[in-house]
Parts: sequence; structure tokens; C-alpha cells
Amino acid sequence: MLRTLRRVADRRRQASGQYGWLFNPYTGNEMVALDCETTGLDPKTAELVSIAAVKVRGDRVMTSDSLDLRLQRPSSLTGDSICIHGLRGVDLDGGDSLREALVKLLDFVGNRPLIGWRIGFDLLVINRHLRPLLGFDLPNSLIDVEQRFARNLRRSHPMVEPVLNFESVADALNVPVMGRHTALGDAVTTALMYVRLSKTQLPRLAHDSIDNAREG
Amino acid sequence: MVDVDLTQPPFTLLDEAGRDRVRTGIDLAYFDEEEIILDAGQPGEYVFIIHKGEVAELDTSVPTAQARIGHYTAGDLFGAISILNGKSRYRFKAEQESLCYLMPKALFNRLCQDYPAFAEFFRQSLAHKARLLTERRAEGGVTMAGFMLARISECMRAPLIVDESTSIASAVSTLNDSHSDSLLVGRDGRFGMVTKTDLLNALVMEGLESSSQVIGIAHFDLVTATPDQYLFEALVRMTRHKVARVVVIEQGAPVGVVELTDVLSYFSSRSYVVSLQVEQAESLDELVRASARTPELVRALMAQGVRLRFAMELLAALNGRIISKAVGFLVDPARLEQSCLMVMGSEGRGEQILKTDQDNALILADGTDWPDCQAQMAQITDTLIRLGYPRCPGNIMVSNPAWVGSEAAWRARVARWAASRDGDSLMNLAILLDAHAVAGNPRLLDTLRDEMFERCSRDELLLSYFARSTLRFSTPLTLFGSLKRPQHGIDIKKGGIFPIVHGVRTLALERRIRPTSTLERLDALAAEGRLEDRFAEDLGEALSLFTELRLKQQLARLDDPDTGRDANRVVVQHLSSLERDLMREALHIVKDFKQRLSHRFHLEY
Repeated sequence: MLRTLRRVADRRRQASGQYGWLFNPYTGNEMVALDCETTGLDPKTAELVSIAAVKVRGDRVMTSDSLDLRLQRPSSLTGDSICIHGLRGVDLDGGDSLREALVKLLDFVGNRPLIGWRIGFDLLVINRHLRPLLGFDLPNSLIDVEQRFARNLRRSHPMVEPVLNFESVADALNVPVMGRHTALGDAVTTALMYVRLSKTQLPRLAHDSIDNAREG
Repeated sequence: MVDVDLTQPPFTLLDEAGRDRVRTGIDLAYFDEEEIILDAGQPGEYVFIIHKGEVAELDTSVPTAQARIGHYTAGDLFGAISILNGKSRYRFKAEQESLCYLMPKALFNRLCQDYPAFAEFFRQSLAHKARLLTERRAEGGVTMAGFMLARISECMRAPLIVDESTSIASAVSTLNDSHSDSLLVGRDGRFGMVTKTDLLNALVMEGLESSSQVIGIAHFDLVTATPDQYLFEALVRMTRHKVARVVVIEQGAPVGVVELTDVLSYFSSRSYVVSLQVEQAESLDELVRASARTPELVRALMAQGVRLRFAMELLAALNGRIISKAVGFLVDPARLEQSCLMVMGSEGRGEQILKTDQDNALILADGTDWPDCQAQMAQITDTLIRLGYPRCPGNIMVSNPAWVGSEAAWRARVARWAASRDGDSLMNLAILLDAHAVAGNPRLLDTLRDEMFERCSRDELLLSYFARSTLRFSTPLTLFGSLKRPQHGIDIKKGGIFPIVHGVRTLALERRIRPTSTLERLDALAAEGRLEDRFAEDLGEALSLFTELRLKQQLARLDDPDTGRDANRVVVQHLSSLERDLMREALHIVKDFKQRLSHRFHLEY
């Protein structure tokens, strides 16, 4: 609700600006899977380390048409998060500034719908940085693969208590996990999960993968 | 972020920059079960590399039962030929949910332009691809592979040549000065070998004067080789002819000598040791010990990436020596002169690498009187069992009187078999056709072989019956992946080895070709123009591939006899993608060969 109101306001403000076109409804057949690596798990303080996006056209994941950005070292980069995404301070030397990165991201994504795994979090972090710089939030429509999976599973197997972690869902959908905890790897895996989910409306889960989902 | 495995051919033919172009240029696509990925007649837009899942290749022009012509799984690549030809000949359908990498046509074409070796890969014959596999295997081998692939020229020493007027005394001093064991004596452009042993025998046993000419004791029937042959082949020759040196001849003149001791310094492995043990064995027990070590030898050879053809030759020579030596212990040499012990079946073709069974028979010269022959033959069979050759399940052994007989008896048998043409007779003929003499008088076998050729090779009806059994087992192209339980695998003996061996045997019978090994027969058929060179080469490679796959499983079973798996069955899913690719092509060649045979011998009806 709040997001909608904000979007309306942003749209009015940007109507004649450089990014006004982002607010137009999208009519093409492409979508963009998005993933960020951050310095923490709290959207209020986490800073961006890398952003990746890959286009999805129909049932194809266009890995040849993808974006993989590393940002300049944020001040809050600490050991804990380095252990997860494996990007050390030195790996970020020569990375983009926040502004450059966000502009590249906007150019790549355009007004296409966004796909993501718990995309709300990524979006909160991006918007927290985007608003001070450009004055608006990402207006794109969103598809959260986690919710989509949970909904499909509820419809096909109402009794199964879904375990919604990234690996077990990928496993249940029979999608290989590509380079976990690299932004682009997660983005590609998420894109594959989405393609898989939209191919068969209700996933035909093999029993063992349900068991895995339970245990996992 | 693309986890694509580019460590298998053809991607190994690109450099790092090329592989990077592949990594950044490919997309991912997801296909549902039963979804058609590429239909027949459709233009090829992508090269597909399977990341996960299984894809079937179907020929839409034939009934569904035979439609399946190929099967692809993770790591395999398809669609490249469709791009090269403009459109796809076959339909590719996802057998399971499949995830494929898609390399766009434009990228593929550019890679083909920039990397000729990469482009060549898609046009190559099986033989070329098989070489790639051997090279890869050899890369992982130890330094021994260096020896195996060494040429004779790298290991020969300069020949010591003296003229015909040289006396024994000066020959001895020449040998001492040069620290060698042998010299060559030239006369009228021919050369004879004199060894230290010859000199010793001449002086001590024959009592010649030290001033007499050395040419009188020279051997002119030399065992020769050329400098660019493998050192390995020299070893095969030494084993076969029971000599310790080979003379290297180039353009008619001796350019070097390879001494067994020199080879030894290159080669401290078991192969030599085993053959030496066989030669030195003084008793049956020693021979049994030596014989038991042959699997070690096979394993060492395979680990070093030796081409299967050489390994087979070496093992055949070694097995021949073991049997011949064993027979020498048991049978009086005078009796042996009047008879011929022959090995048959795979052993006769020299294709039995591990001892899987014994097929043997005995020909007695006409008029031989050998009352306790049968008792002695039973003893031979038992001895061979001790030596590690298992009993033949079909009882085709010398202990069975049906496989022992005088020349006349054998002629009558051949005539009877050729006339009756029933299943057993045809099988007996096939077994006898592969016979190879290992002990006794080989001329008896030659005469019998001539008799067989005389009787059979012009008999079109017999040849047709004979050839028919090549079609008895279907080529297992259709079984790929569609088995209920894929762990059953496919039977490469029935599906691959047997049709090639028997088909080539039939053609050899028709053309009266005397060698018994399938590869030699193929060479002879190609030389006669009966088969094109390229096709013969491909058939040979296909056979080597099947034999090698089977050998690997047999060796695995030796390690762990409880696996209980049939060594003839190959589980496709356990092979690497290159091996699968080779296997697919090899099976296509078998299918092609069967078609030619059925055309030639009118087997369609």
C-alpha cells in the first residue's frame, strides 16, 4: 500500500525527468532475475557488495545477457559477511561507485518485471541507496520465487509443511544450484527456479524431494 | 555465472580466450519431459550442451520401435551437426526434464572459423576421436608411457659390421673392444648375425679354429624391424621369435641393432619380466607362476595408454609361448613334429587379453601312430586349466576326442559341416577358421585351412548362412537409456564385438585371407579393396573401443570378484561424455557394417 503510494508520487515527480520511462507499464516478454550480496542481513544497515541481474526470455535464461557488478568497498564490510559471499576488500578494488552501479542496473533492468528469491530484502537495500541518489524507488513489478513456490506447493500438496530455504527448493524443483552466494550464481538459479515454476503450474514433486524439503 | 564443464573435447581444442567466449556467450534453457527440443527439418539455431537430464535422438522417418538412434546425457553436446548441415536430420526430445546450455549459431560459427581444430572435431571420423581419447589417457600415465610410445630409432645402437674375410679371433676382439654382444657380417649386400653364443659354440662345440672365417657361423635369417616402428613392436617380435636382438633395416641396409638388454634399460616393467619368466621356466610350476602374472601386465599396459592393438599382440605372443612351452613339457618332441596343436576362437584371433576360456584342437599327420594320444591330451587340458585358462563351456578342447583327429578326419569333418550348414556346424566352422598353430607342425593347419577355403569360399549359399548370424543380435542403439533399469547396461559383446568379428571373418573366408586376427584381416580386406580404407580403419577402432571397455570391466572384476556384474555389459551412464560419444559412433559403424553384409550376402529375407 505504502509502496503504491510512493510509486505514484515518484512517478509524478519523475514524469519529465531522465527516468520517467521506468514508470511506464512493461509490454515485452522479458523479465530480469536479480540478486545482491550485502554486508549484513538487516535491510536498514546492510550495504551493497555486489549486484547481479540476468534476463529471462520465455523459457530461456539469457546468461549471455547478464549484469555482474562489484561495488567499491563499503565501510561496513566485515569478516562475517565475507565468509558468506567470499568477496574480500581487495576483491572489490576497482569496483563501481554506488551511483555508477545503480545507473548501470537501471539501464539494464529498465521497466521489466523483477524476479528474485526473497526479493523484498534486496529491494529494500537497493531503494535505501537509490532514493538519496536519484530520488525514487525501483518501480518495477515484482515476483518473489519463494512465495510463488510456497503457493504452488500449498495448492498441490496442502498437507506438506514447506521448508523454504534456497537449496532445498532448488532441489525440489530439480534445478542445479549454480555458484551459491555469488550474486550472479544466485540470480541464475533463481531465474531457473522461476522458469521451472512457470512451466508446470503445479510442480509434480517426487516423494523423495518432498521428504528432502521436510528434512532440509 | 555459468557452471559449464569445458574440460571435455571439443572444448579442450579451444584456448582459454575461446572458452571464455563460450562461457559468456551461452544461455540456459529448461525443457520439460517429452518436450521436443529440436525437430527434424528444423533449422539448427543452437548447439545444445546438456547440463542435467537426458535427451533422445529420434529418426522420424522410421517406425517408432526403431526410431531411437541416440541418447545424450549430462555433458553431451548435440545440434552442432544441424548447424553445419543447415537443418536437423533427426528429432531431439527431452527424455527427462532437462537443463541445456544453448550456444547460439553465430557464436558457434565464429568459433569454428577462429579455431580450425574445433571445427574439424565435428567432421572427424571415429578413428580420430579415439586417438584423442588415447592421448588423454596417456597424459595421465606415468613416464612408462614414454617408453611405450618410444620408437625403435631412439633405442637402437649402431651395428657392428665386419667384412666376410674376418676371422673368429678378430671378431671376438672386435666384440670385446666395443662391449657388444653381436656383430653383423656382410656378404654381397646380405648380412648375417653372429652372437657371442654362436662364437662360443663354434669354438667349443664344433671345434673350429680361431682363424676360420666368421661368416661360416653367421645366421642370415634375421628378425628385422624399421627405425620408425614402436619399440614395443620390437619386443613383440623378440617374444614371438624367441630371439634377444632385432636388426633395424632402413632401405635394405642395416642401420642399427636393438638388444633385449637395451630395451630392458628402457623398460624395467613387468612385461619383460613376465615374458622372461615364461622363457626361463624350467618346470610347470614356474610356468604357472609366470602365467598368473599376466593380468598385472595387462593392467600396467592399460594404465600407460598403450594402444590396444599392441597390447593384444604382445599378450597373444605371450599366451602362445605359454601354451607352447606347457605342451613342450608334456609331449615328446618327436610326437609334436607329427601333430599340430592349435588354439581357436578369441585366442586364435589373438584377441583374448585376459584368459577367459580355452578353445583348442589337435591335428595329427596322416599315418601317425600315437596310442596314448587321448590320455596325453586330457593332461594338456588339465595343465592349461592350472595355467589359468578356464575350461571351455562348449567343451571345445583337446580332451574332447571330437576335436582331435588325423588330417583325413579333419577334412571329413569340414566337408560334413560345410554340407549340413546347421547352427552347430556353422559355429564349428567359425571356430576352426580362427585357428592358430601354437605348437607342433604349423603346416598341418595350413593345409587344413586351404582345404576349408577350397570348400567354402566359393559356396555362396554357405557364405550366406554363415553371415546370417551377424544379424542375430540387434545393435543396441535402441536400448540406450530406455532400459527399465539403466544399471543393466548394454551388452557390447553381442551388440558390438560379435558382429564385427564374425562379419570380418565371413569376408575373410570369402576372400581366402589367412591371418586370423580381426585387425589383420581388416588390413588385408582393405588392401584387396574389399572394404574402403577408411571404413576398415573405423571398424578396427570400433572393435578396439569395445574390447577396451570390456577389458576395463574384466579388470575391475579381477579386483573385486563379488561385483557379480557381467563384464560384457557396459552401463552407459558410467562412461565419460567422450567415451559415450565414441560408443555411439562405434555402434553406428556396426549398424552400417551389418547393412553392408546383409546387402552382400542377401540376408534381407
